[in-house]
Amino acid sequence: MAFTANFVSTSFKTELLKGCHDFTLTTGDVFKLALYDNTPTFTAATTAYTATGEVAASGSYTAGGGTLTNVTAVNSGTTAFTDFADITFTTATISAYGCMIYNSTPNTTSSAGLTNPCVATLWFNGAKTSTAGDFTVVFPAADATNAVIRIA
Amino acid sequence: MTPALRIDTHNSPIVAVHTTSGRGFTPEEVASRCVEKLLYVSDSAPKEIRDQALAYKAHIEKIIAYYMKEAISSHVTTVYNALNDAGRPDLAELIRRL
Repeated sequence: MAFTANFVSTSFKTELLKGCHDFTLTTGDVFKLALYDNTPTFTAATTAYTATGEVAASGSYTAGGGTLTNVTAVNSGTTAFTDFADITFTTATISAYGCMIYNSTPNTTSSAGLTNPCVATLWFNGAKTSTAGDFTVVFPAADATNAVIRIA
Repeated sequence: MTPALRIDTHNSPIVAVHTTSGRGFTPEEVASRCVEKLLYVSDSAPKEIRDQALAYKAHIEKIIAYYMKEAISSHVTTVYNALNDAGRPDLAELIRRL
């Protein structure tokens, strides 16, 4: 199986230190979620969004995926974290094994040449299928223990 | 030695996926997801506190589902009138019967 684990991109960590990503709600960057079949081999070395292996457009799912709603980065104790609201693709026929979160509007002043840099790739633990129905990706609770991205 | 700053995510599946076929989610299904965002009950909490929190969580879930149904019913009324006003009473009646 191509999707066997979650990966935070190493390039994302570097880009964070360069100030390329802003997770602030509304005024921050636009982060998107793209769905994939089981053909791509994503690792921590994955650097950017790719259309290869992306599921076909269906219902409200279009090429490039859907726009996420950011949860502004905050901290709890000594852990800072950010998260996203759940996202639903409606009336869609989709079979996906995992997804990629990427930044479609990075700060290119901080790092020239960035296009759709990858934040993380996440696996679904098998194929998840909707048929003329809703396909919802549910993010974990936005807290220091469960949030999708945490700096401890 | 000072620990390094770690930026990471969980190794096990971190996102859940909920899907439907031939329909949308019911208010109860959405309410179940909603309450998971509102309340997190630790497995390690003392039993008395945990039981009370879980009972409260179940109660909140029912209230959320109830008001979701209210909102859907009200929205159906809005759509019914919009279709009627657009000269499609047949479609309006179809929506009303959902």
